[in-house]
Amino acid sequence: MPTFRERLKPRFAILGVVVVAVLGILLFRLWTMQILAGPAFAARADDNRIREVTTVAPRGRILDRKGRELVTNRPTMAVLAARSVAENAEVMNKLSSLLDMPVAELKDRITSVKEAALAPRVVAIDVPMTTVAYLAEHESQFPGVEVATRSVRRYPYGDLAAHVLGYTGEISEDQLAGADFQGYDPTDVVGKSGAESSFESVLQGDRGLRRLEVDAAGRPKRIISETEPEAGRDVVLTIDADVQKVTEEALAQAIKDAHADGYYKAKAGAAIAIDTRTGEILAMASAPTYDPAVFLGGVSNKEWRSLTTTSSEFPLSNRAIQAQYPAASTFKAMTGLAGLNYGLTRQWATYTCRGLWTGMGKQWGKYCWNRSGHGVETFMDGFADSCDTVFYEIGYAFYKDKGEKLQKFARSFGYGQLTGIDLGGEATGRVPDAAWKKAYNQNYPEYQGWLPGDTVNMAIGQGDLLVTPLQVVASYAGIANNGKVMKPHVLRKVLGSDGKTVLGPTKEVAFAPKVSKKNLSIVGSALHNVTTIGTAKGAFRGFGIQVAGKTGTAEVTGKDDYAWFVGYAPVQQPKYAVVVVLEQGGHGGSIAAPAGRQILAELLGQRVEHVKAKDNSR
Amino acid sequence: MMAVKERSVFRAVNPALLGVVLLLSVFGSVMVHSAVQGMDGGDTMFRRHLMGIAIGLVPLGVAWLIDYRKLQGWVGPLLILDAFLILAPRIPGLGATAKGAQSWLQIGGLRLFQPSEPAKLVTIVVMAAIIAQYRGSIERPRDIFKVLGVLAIPLGLILLQPDLGTGLVFVAITAGMLLIGGMSGRWFLIFALAGALLIGGGLRLDAGLDKAAGHDVFLKDYQMNRLLVFVDPTRDPAGAGYNLEQSKIAIGSGELSGKGLGSGTQGNLNFLPERHTDFIFSVLGEELGFVGGLILLALYLGLLITALGIATSSRDLYGALIVAGVISMWTFQILENVGMTIGLMPITGIPLPFMSFGSSFMVTNMAATGMLLSVWTRRYS
Repeated sequence: MPTFRERLKPRFAILGVVVVAVLGILLFRLWTMQILAGPAFAARADDNRIREVTTVAPRGRILDRKGRELVTNRPTMAVLAARSVAENAEVMNKLSSLLDMPVAELKDRITSVKEAALAPRVVAIDVPMTTVAYLAEHESQFPGVEVATRSVRRYPYGDLAAHVLGYTGEISEDQLAGADFQGYDPTDVVGKSGAESSFESVLQGDRGLRRLEVDAAGRPKRIISETEPEAGRDVVLTIDADVQKVTEEALAQAIKDAHADGYYKAKAGAAIAIDTRTGEILAMASAPTYDPAVFLGGVSNKEWRSLTTTSSEFPLSNRAIQAQYPAASTFKAMTGLAGLNYGLTRQWATYTCRGLWTGMGKQWGKYCWNRSGHGVETFMDGFADSCDTVFYEIGYAFYKDKGEKLQKFARSFGYGQLTGIDLGGEATGRVPDAAWKKAYNQNYPEYQGWLPGDTVNMAIGQGDLLVTPLQVVASYAGIANNGKVMKPHVLRKVLGSDGKTVLGPTKEVAFAPKVSKKNLSIVGSALHNVTTIGTAKGAFRGFGIQVAGKTGTAEVTGKDDYAWFVGYAPVQQPKYAVVVVLEQGGHGGSIAAPAGRQILAELLGQRVEHVKAKDNSR
Repeated sequence: MMAVKERSVFRAVNPALLGVVLLLSVFGSVMVHSAVQGMDGGDTMFRRHLMGIAIGLVPLGVAWLIDYRKLQGWVGPLLILDAFLILAPRIPGLGATAKGAQSWLQIGGLRLFQPSEPAKLVTIVVMAAIIAQYRGSIERPRDIFKVLGVLAIPLGLILLQPDLGTGLVFVAITAGMLLIGGMSGRWFLIFALAGALLIGGGLRLDAGLDKAAGHDVFLKDYQMNRLLVFVDPTRDPAGAGYNLEQSKIAIGSGELSGKGLGSGTQGNLNFLPERHTDFIFSVLGEELGFVGGLILLALYLGLLITALGIATSSRDLYGALIVAGVISMWTFQILENVGMTIGLMPITGIPLPFMSFGSSFMVTNMAATGMLLSVWTRRYS
């Protein structure tokens, strides 16, 4: 018996070792999983059970300076479709006929833009109740399709100030990747242009977050935590809805006037009203315009095409800040002021206009717009009559003086650079100089040299000079404001959730050119002459307040003339400046100036009336 | 006189074994209670579990009272009983299918028990009798093939169920008994190599045959998937790999001290499959953490060491072999069940001794305890 037990002992020892080894291995594995990797597994367990559901915060409203709602929100019934729906031809066909939307477009809306967006996409908004009811009753026939209430933008004034307000749309992939949109969801609606885009950071609210505990089947079991969405801030603009309305009507009237005048190609233009003392934009119009409501719930391909083809004249672009035109005679205020400033002319200097100016030699003769000639003209007369010869002489004097002082002076008033307005897409314009010309014609050595004619052409606002309507009105506002160009802006203030101001109005000097009060007042009175005895005389006949201004008629190769008017009032204590420009609209004095008068009338409390004026100057 | 009798009664009982089994059963009941809370019919299930423990006391007592030595002469009838138990579910009117295996015995629509569970014990008794013949030394190939030939009867039948997991338990039981029975290390090496080749080649052959025949030949698809997922858990996380992943998340997220009894999110929110049966350890790991796992493994260590003590005190080789078979069965089931919940072993339907819900299983383990006590009580007589 002892031998039997002795023999078994080592074997049981082996079995014991196996037992201990098995338990030891299991324990070791538990230690690595629960102690070493425990926190990582705990995070995965939370991932399993916790679903975060975000709720969209209402977007802030956009108000005009008097607190009137220009943009607000409204609820709408929206149809949403999951990505899987696009692959289901049967559902696509049914949905297409139900929503009266082509299958191709439906597919576009579901699949376009974002691969990453797993959330169902909005395919239609403002769905009629009958459709909602049908979808609810036939839920099983439409897998992946759901109906939900969504908040969309409402525009109580329709397309008023569409370019200033801008439109909204689903965030793009590029935006989502950008630093400005950190924390945004792929389905967020964001500002795409105008104020909606500029003030996105305050208009966008903070999403609410609800953390739910769900079971393995995804059924919610309880709410772990909940944060209410915080609505976006209301933004008050400097825009005055009444002035804006008159401005848009004046621009539309100018187009009609142009057509009546034989300028049938007139379709596009811009107008701005600005407070000369603060830079506040009271109105900004661009023609043709668009309806920001077409972007709600996603713009259809057809609509998008109609807004972006050449024949549409690009209604989405805000010509007031994005278009670059020849300044034409509106630039003569710069040339004149610069000439006085550098001593190249004087208030009562005289020039003789014979129609053809041959100051640079007979072979380089240039015509005044009045080919029969203005005769003897003083510097002051040059403004009233918009006599080109006077400014050819001053321009030639600048050429001979060297140093590109005319360019420097124009730049000191903001030409050729951004004004810094708080709207996106502003163009810089162009103040040409020798360096620019050389670089621009780098492949054409024979055109690289700066010629006397280049300066002379620029002096009357032609040649290679390009300006935006905003630059023109800002520079005139600067003349009116004792030489200080205030930074143009559309944001008046931002309201807190309690309706109180959290960010007040701003007043900033954008450009402070070196120019004497005396010279400013000389040019000011010359510009006043324009509306009393000059080219805008007809447009301002009987106007109760004294206005200083300048007409312009720009020559553009291959197109009809562009009509300009820029001015400010009242002359003695200037408050507002306006600019009106009409592409292919004809003469500034007869087309643009009457529109300018209407806008100034609204700004200054005068009767808004449409006057007919004759002008054949340039 | 009284003193002597008291001492003999005391000596007949093994308090350590009964104590550990009692602690494990209580621990198991607590975990089953936590696992079935919130399930449909959870209360009924918990009562059935307690009833399984109570019913188990009967076979425990019976096995204790039976003198194991008498079983040595019943090899033939026991082998037939073994085969009957395994085949019973296949008899029309008696069988029922659950989880892909036809392994339940039912009469008149009433599910009774899984006869393959008690078949494990019958196999132990039969194999012990065969191996004991060689008096502690198995060297000749003839003898080895005889042992394997006897094993082939229950093993072959169980693999036909098909129940791969229980088949592996049979193999483990036999291996442990052969170790005590005196098979040399050389033979263990040969069988290990042959087994590895067989499994590796078999899987390929099976896949090839499935393709050729157009249907499952040996392994069912789900079994194949379980094995493949074990090799590469990321293979199919939503399907076969899902259970493993969720189990690992449950246990890992228990960290040191667990989320608290009844507070496991993986279990209560249904991420854990089969959480009251095969994956009871995942519930334990999640709710009681590393500390809970350590306590359970310590209890198992106590159980197995006590059993080893009983084996070494056996008055004969036959008793020692029976105990070795039970030890091997439990050890393998612990390894397999806990191992599969933490990704060390492939997923099979092997429950955790004294812990998992399931009365057939509980009753079998109670009977095994009775068999150990039978050996212990008769160590001197």
